[in-house]
Amino acid sequence: MRFRTIGLLAMVMLLLAAIFSSTAEAREPVVRVALKASDIRSLDPHYGTTTIDYACIDPMFNALVRFKPGDIDPEKIEPDLAERWEMSPDGLTWTFYLRKGVKFHKGYGELTAADVKFSLEKAANKDTSGFAKDFEALDKAEVIDPHTVRLTFKENVPSVLGLLTDYHGGFIVCQKAVEEMGLEKFKTNPIGTGPFMLEEYVPKQKLVAVRHAEYFRGRPLLDKIEFWFMPDASSREMAFRKGEIDICEGEREQAWIDKMRQVPGTVVDIFGPGETLTLHFNTRQKPLDDKRVREALAYAIDRQELMDFLGQDVTTPLVSPIPPDYLGGTTDVKLYAHDPAKAKELLKAAGLEKGFTLKEVITEMSDYRRPMEQIQAQLRKIGVDLQMDVITHSAYHQQIRKDVNPITLYVCARFPTADPILTQFYHSKSIVGTPTAITNFSHYDQIDDLIEQARRETQVEKQKALWAQAQQKILEDAVAYPLCITKFVFARKDYVDLGYEMKSTLTLVDTIKWNTRILEK
Amino acid sequence: MFQYVVRRIFLIVPTLWAVVTVVFFLIRIVPGGPAMAALGAYASEEQVRALEHQMGLDQPLLIQYVKYLADLCRGDLGKSLITQRPVAQEIAQALPYTIDLTVAGMALGILMGVPIGIFAALRRNRLPDYLGRIFSLIGISMPEFYLGILLMYVFAVKLNLFPVIGGGDFSRWGSRFYHLVLPAFTLGIIMTSFISRMTRSSMLNVIGEDYVRTARAKGVSEKMVVYKHALRNALIPTTTVIGLYAGILMGGSVLTEIVYSRPGLGKMMVFAVKDRDYMTLQMVIVIFSAAVFLLNLLTDILYSLIDPRIEYH
Repeated sequence: MRFRTIGLLAMVMLLLAAIFSSTAEAREPVVRVALKASDIRSLDPHYGTTTIDYACIDPMFNALVRFKPGDIDPEKIEPDLAERWEMSPDGLTWTFYLRKGVKFHKGYGELTAADVKFSLEKAANKDTSGFAKDFEALDKAEVIDPHTVRLTFKENVPSVLGLLTDYHGGFIVCQKAVEEMGLEKFKTNPIGTGPFMLEEYVPKQKLVAVRHAEYFRGRPLLDKIEFWFMPDASSREMAFRKGEIDICEGEREQAWIDKMRQVPGTVVDIFGPGETLTLHFNTRQKPLDDKRVREALAYAIDRQELMDFLGQDVTTPLVSPIPPDYLGGTTDVKLYAHDPAKAKELLKAAGLEKGFTLKEVITEMSDYRRPMEQIQAQLRKIGVDLQMDVITHSAYHQQIRKDVNPITLYVCARFPTADPILTQFYHSKSIVGTPTAITNFSHYDQIDDLIEQARRETQVEKQKALWAQAQQKILEDAVAYPLCITKFVFARKDYVDLGYEMKSTLTLVDTIKWNTRILEK
Repeated sequence: MFQYVVRRIFLIVPTLWAVVTVVFFLIRIVPGGPAMAALGAYASEEQVRALEHQMGLDQPLLIQYVKYLADLCRGDLGKSLITQRPVAQEIAQALPYTIDLTVAGMALGILMGVPIGIFAALRRNRLPDYLGRIFSLIGISMPEFYLGILLMYVFAVKLNLFPVIGGGDFSRWGSRFYHLVLPAFTLGIIMTSFISRMTRSSMLNVIGEDYVRTARAKGVSEKMVVYKHALRNALIPTTTVIGLYAGILMGGSVLTEIVYSRPGLGKMMVFAVKDRDYMTLQMVIVIFSAAVFLLNLLTDILYSLIDPRIEYH
């Protein structure tokens, strides 16, 4: 009797499961994306700073101009909401002519120049945006007529079009919606002009965006996109293998890539811009205040070994602070080819032939911890004992800004021109511990004039030369040692056609566009 | 009895106050802060300081503490420092999923654990007993996340019977149940191990008692001996174990929610710790503490129902 009951129960459960699971087989025009995140922070594009925010914001908003889908080459920026634009000879005044008939989501009407003025002023205001600093040079935005807007800058900006792309503060929001809802509500009820609009947001679980049928480039080919917040890597992978997920954020490890390439019907997308891994030497801490010691550390590091360890498919070498594919990137710098004998000589010259000990903190996040463990092993070979305390990621960010580390590993991706990285990591205003601090962990103050000159320069070639000079000086002074670039890795079902060739994207995910589609079986 | 229950319920207030106080100071002592987590790595020191000021985190700890307690007394749980949404609202959205999961896990644990324990005890040192003991040993030794991934791989990926992700559509019972099966079994199997082990050993103790022998000698049917005479007495330690392990079950829900990508308080708690979202973390821990407190109270009440000799004054 007892066994009969258990057997009956098991049969009912299997039957129920079969009924429910059978509905999951049909291939609908829906793309489900699983991202390594617990939740969104903000869908107001002027506050979104995490990968999950970027992924959700991108299909819902547009900007005056945009990067070519799948390619962040700043020289290929193309029209988005603006059909065309004009620049004054001094480069300080820009006039943008908007497309006509662009509609906001959910009946919020047509886009006008007033929305553009409102959005850019919002982006430039630190009370309404997280990216106000990027817009410091914006003097005013004027509405010339309903479809023309003029922007005036106080000084030359390294890339005005770059500032206005579909990234960070460049996104255009609906003035009426922001004013009606208020900033707080807008963060979870975004109204933009993008090909998809918010349908449902379940905190800690998922966000669903549905087709915006009046999208100006054409009717989006997908019915909807589902973004699933899945922090656990194994769960993402299993959901992908089972087919509950079509695009899945992967692990930046060779083993994961090789494994997923064996899964039938899977495409592994590996794309840029990637994140730069750079070691910043603290020139205020002994013995790193001695240039010879810093050079010794640089010579002791075996970049190739590190890249082999991290994975050949996901890494490319980085020899200067700015990646070569960024505007202003160069490889014409002092290279510090791996040479442990020279490293030991330099240490001897600095009176440290017996080696020394450095104590520091490192985040538990594998993107930081794994390379740093490799560096630790390499430095041990020249007698440098790098002792590391592993702490949480947010604590790491706090501690490195308190100047505790002699060597700070920083992993980042920035807008692909040289200025943001040079300003944030090597300008004296950014030195940690100062009121204007950002991320200058080296306390370096020798290239302020080059950074500022390049920022004011209107001719691109001259600008590039100034940026190259700045990078040569950084390496010459051995205040930082660029290690490599790690690319982003996603697994995608082969029936999902992104609609563009994916080379690089600032959203850092396989981005869904209006022409992304599901291919027929 | 009534007075006892009322007294215990009143005791919850100082207990929760102590929990709030410890968590309040502990989370603020450890390095890291919510402003950096909220602003992201691009933020300048100036922006971080401005946000900390806005959040009131630049005030002395004691002032922050008094203000927080005052807000709590007014029923204001505050806003999440990261998402800026009211904590009460975030908890209200996540709590039903956690209740579903823990209740289902507990129910499965009891429904499977007690019969397995009885069955094993009645067939001591025979195959069913060995199997039951091996099962409970595996269940106790296996971490929830590993068991979760294992069940997911077999029943979702290979057999395609259940979903891998999410908590389902909460307003639809079918979807809710369908998404609950594997997570509930993950917790339920672990609870089963604890409960079956305890039921088996207490049944073995009771079965050897004089009154059981007497009942058998009087010719009482084996069914009556087991279920009426032995089981009721054997259930007292089992009930204690269930009450005690309710806390472990809630701890297990943390990893289970992450593995199955379900919304819930456990998942909220983990990310609140990571992001140093003080407001959210404090309230989630208070809820977990209150739940454990109430479950312990319920266990005490159950004692008196199972064993009429127990009286509370």
